[in-house]
Order: sequence, then C-alpha cells, then structure tokens
Amino acid sequence: MKLALQNILHDRGRFSMTVFGVCFAVFLMVFQGSLLAGFLQAASKLIDASDSDIWITARGVQAFEFGTTLESRVREMAAGVPGVTETSRVCMAFAVYRTPIGKQQVVALVGADPTVGNRFPVPDRHESADQLSPDAVLYDVSDRKQMEVDTLPAEVEINRHRANIEREIQGYGAFLGVPFLFTSYRNAIRYMGFGSDQAMYILLRVDKAYPVSQVQQSLKQRLPEVDVLTRDEFAHKARMYWTIKTGAGGAILTAAVLGFLIGLVVVSQTIYANTMENIEEYATLKALGASQTFVARIVLTQALICGVVGSVLGLLAVVPSITYAKSLIPWISAPWWLPCAMVVPSLAMCSLASIVSVRSALTVEPGRVFRA
Amino acid sequence: MPNHFLRVEGASVSFGHDEARVHALRDVSLSFKPGTLSLVMGPSGSGKTTLLSLLGCLLSPDKGSVFVDGVAVNGLSEAERTAVRQQKISFVFQAFRLFHSLSALDNVALGLEIRDPAASRRTEVARDLLLQFGLGDKLHQEPKALSPGEKQRVAIARALAGNPPILLADEPTASLDAEAGRNICQILRSQVDEHGRTVVVVSHDPRWEKFADRIVTLCDGCVEEEVGVL
Ligand SMILES: Nc1ncnc2c1ncn2[C@@H]1O[C@H](COP(=O)(O)OP(=O)(O)OP(=O)(O)O)[C@@H](O)[C@H]1O
Ligand SMILES: [Mg+2]
Repeated sequence: MKLALQNILHDRGRFSMTVFGVCFAVFLMVFQGSLLAGFLQAASKLIDASDSDIWITARGVQAFEFGTTLESRVREMAAGVPGVTETSRVCMAFAVYRTPIGKQQVVALVGADPTVGNRFPVPDRHESADQLSPDAVLYDVSDRKQMEVDTLPAEVEINRHRANIEREIQGYGAFLGVPFLFTSYRNAIRYMGFGSDQAMYILLRVDKAYPVSQVQQSLKQRLPEVDVLTRDEFAHKARMYWTIKTGAGGAILTAAVLGFLIGLVVVSQTIYANTMENIEEYATLKALGASQTFVARIVLTQALICGVVGSVLGLLAVVPSITYAKSLIPWISAPWWLPCAMVVPSLAMCSLASIVSVRSALTVEPGRVFRA
Repeated sequence: MPNHFLRVEGASVSFGHDEARVHALRDVSLSFKPGTLSLVMGPSGSGKTTLLSLLGCLLSPDKGSVFVDGVAVNGLSEAERTAVRQQKISFVFQAFRLFHSLSALDNVALGLEIRDPAASRRTEVARDLLLQFGLGDKLHQEPKALSPGEKQRVAIARALAGNPPILLADEPTASLDAEAGRNICQILRSQVDEHGRTVVVVSHDPRWEKFADRIVTLCDGCVEEEVGVL
C-alpha cells in the first residue's frame, strides 16, 4: 500500500485539494450538526428543565415560547384527579425591560413556582430564598451586554414595575433573539398584570403508584378543552415545531448535506484525476499479475488516506470555531460524539467518491502496457 | 508429447470489424522451451507485440490455443489468467513502466508483493536484486532520477522479483544507447543460462542476434522464418 501513499504524496497540489474538500465537508457537517443539536436542545430546554410528569397547555400550543393563559379552574380540576400529587404554575410573556441607565428593550419573562424542579431557573427556591429578595430576577450570562447591568444587584424596571436583578445564571441564553428573564410566579403575574392563579402552563407531579399514562388519560377526559401532554411529549412537540414547522431544522440540515455533496464532488474529481493520470500504472500492475482486489485497494486506500487527513484537519478547525460561535449563538452545542460520528460519513464520502476511479482502474486493459 | 513450456497453436488474432479488420496474427504455431532465449523479429505491424500479448495471457486468440506450462489458458477467465501471470509470467517493456512515485527499491519490492503476497523480507530481496544489477547506489532514487539504462535494469529486477519462470520483453533495448543495450542483453541471457528461464524478446535490434538461441521472423502476421536450435 506504499504505492497509494506515495502516489498522493507525489501529487501534493491535488492531495491538498482533496484534503481541503474532506476538511470542508467535515467542518460543515460538524458545525451544522452542532447547530442542529443545540437548536433541538434549546427548543425544549425549559420543558426539559422541569421535574414534572405532565404539562397542561392551552389547546394547540406548539412550543413553550408561544403559550396562552389557561382558565384558573384548570389547576383546581387537575389537582383533584387521583394520582396528581402536586401542581405548579408557569407563565411566560414578552415584557418591556428598562435598563439601569434607562434604555428600553423587549425581554421574554418567565415566572414559575419553586416546585417546578431543581433545574428550572427560579429565584425563590427554598435553599436560596433567604438570600434573594422576593422580586429577584435572574438572567443568563450570555445576555449580559443586552441587559446593560454592570454590577449586581441592579435595580431595573419590568413593565414599569421595580425589579431587582440579583444573579446571573448559565445555560438559558436568548433563543428567541430576546433575552430570557426568570423570576418567581408571584412576581411574574404582577409584572404581567395577570390575575392571581392565572398561568400558561400547569405542571403536575404524579404519584409513583399511578401510571403516568393512566393519569394523563383521566386528565384528558376531565379537561377536554386543553392539551394534556407528558413532559417528553411536550418537549418533542416543541422541538418538532422549531425544527420542522419553522423550517429552521431543514435549513440547517440542508447546509450539512450540501457540505457532504460539495466534499463528495471535490474528492471524486481529484481522486479521479489522480487515477486517470496514473492509469498506465494500474495497467502495469494488472499486467504484472495484480488482482482486481489489489488494484481496487490501492485506489480506495488513497481516498481513505485523504479522508482521514481531511477529517482530522476539519475537526481541528471546527472545535475552535464552535467555541467562538458560542459567543454569538449561545445555544450552539457540540455533543462529544458528534465529531466522532462525522468520521463515518466522511469516510463513506471518500469511498463513494472513489467508485468511478476504482471502476476505471479495474477496467483498464493491461495489454496497453506494450504501447509506447 | 514433449513439455513445451510455452506454446501457441494455430493462433489467429484480428482487430476491428469488416473493412477496418486487421489480421495481426494468422495461424501461428510456435513453441518456447525452458532455458532458451527466443528473439522475435519482423517489420513494424507484423504482429510481434500481439504474439507477446498472447504468450503473456493479456490477449485471447480468436482461433487456436495458447498453453502455459501445459495448461490451455484461452479457456480461462480474466481472473484466472491474471493468476497465471502472477505465478509464471513477467514482462519488460520498451517504456520501462516503473511506478513513478516509488523508489527503485520500492518498485522491485512491489513487484515481489504482487507475485508473492506472503513473502517476508521483501525489501531485502529487492535490495539483493538491485545490487546484482549494479544499482546499489540507486536504491532510493525515484525513476525520474535514473538514466534509461538504469530504469530498464530496475524494471528487469522488478520483473524477476518472485522468480517467474517466463520473461517476455517487448523492445527492451529500443530506448537505450549501445552500452546500456548490451548490458540488458547480457542480463537477460544470464537469466536463461543461470536460472533456466524461458525468455522471449521482441526486437528490431540486431545486437540481440548473438544472444539468442533461436530467431523467429514474423511478417504480416505469419511466421516467415525460424532459425536456430529448438
Ligand atoms: N489494440 C489494437 N487495436 C487495433 N489494432 C491493433 C491493436 N493492436 C495491434 N493492432 C494492429 O495489429 C497489427 C499488428 O500489431 P503489433 O503491435 O503486433 O505489431 P508489431 O509487430 O509489434 O509492430 P511494431 O514493431 O510497430 O511494434 C498492426 O497492424 C496494428 O495496427
Ligand atoms: Mg510492437
């Protein structure tokens, strides 16, 4: 297989081109993959952060960001269903935020009962309640610039109500383009001007002794005018909404597929050119008695060497790029397995790209070696 | 029936169809014994290369048979004929046909790898062959750094790696000067005398005549004359 290696090393220009093609494809696939993975995660982040078993939403709500208020009797009725041990209220609305220096901007305000779950960002959860004032508001570090808060705590206004920004949190950055602010349920309805007990989502915990699906069924019967979803169902629905219905996921995937295709074209072109340039040598190999497998292996090995080198370079380039992109797109996220998994399509791409070349090398007639 | 190591019997080969049909060989029968050097001569277009292609299992005759080591090869599949080449037949070309990206040593080692994939110490064997042909100081040179005579010696070393009993050479000295040409003649002659190989050389070059056991002259696809011992 030394021949395969030497052939590509001998044609540095073309080798660089091939490696660049693979590198480009891997970069785009990993980058777009990270966008998609991050996007999917962010699309259902707050739903996943709750500990509840069941979410009740107004009929037809597609995603957490687009809820509408439920009638207050929904919560009472849900609480009365056998198996429901605890109810929590969550509301979300766009609000006008006034920075400490008086500039205004729109934010997405989220308020929740402390019982929604330990991962859900709420200021008045038990362990920290004594340290935070009742109208405490939290925001994500990645939105610091937009919030224009230099020191904490900072006094700001939300919908003309006084509010205190007390803490920064991490991992709940802007997804809608406007920053998220988190506060307690009590606080939120005050800022939003909702009536007491009005909420957009009612979250339920189910007694371990009851099957969730059975409780869900009885809730559906008792509350026919709202949607009753398990947490995973709602999370799935939100992800589908953001990726499929808005077309955003399609756009991201298209770019990844395009990366694959461009890589495929570049690699197949260069491998083919290299094979045709050396076609006499493949004929010589065959005249000397090399089997078809032997010849095919040489062409394929060349493609795979380019694939491995290109993949490694692509990964080396994409890791810092994603890190940098995080400052612009806080929700981008590369799961550890994604770059590793991309090695498979990139090698598949190289194998696919060498099919035509392998065919030419295999069908070359060995008798031509005598022609001068 | 004597063991005629390499034999064509009533072989005809033509190329093209209808008007454009060219009869490269017409009903040619020839035998090549082990331990002989046969020289095939004849004007351009007389079918010399075609005959060599037949003997080398690179081409099947339209009519007639080709035998290698007693086996009729024209009935074999492409893969089987490749295997016959791998085990028994090697080539030397006018255009050398070295692998341009490999050093002299690697060229010969690759020849051995093809012929004997299980061979160990391929580099050592290749080095010994090259030393034998006086190329000890060129082992790591690439073909483009070698003179034509050196290239042809590397090509012969590559052809001999793995010890094939049959060596077919098409105009091996046509691209060489007198000195280098004589050197190649001597090398191929010694393969016959020392190793008992069957060597067939196609050449216009009269220098070969005194190295050959037999001279076959082709004309217009037919054997015109056959002189020498057989
Ligand atoms: N692959 C081919 N396709 C068509 N015609 C061919 C082919 N190979 C050989 N021929 C024809 O067959 C005839 C014999 O060719 P061949 O190459 O055997 O001659 P040669 O004796 O080797 O000639 P030269 O001394 O010029 O090498 C020629 O007329 C040639 O044009
Ligand atoms: Mg010829």
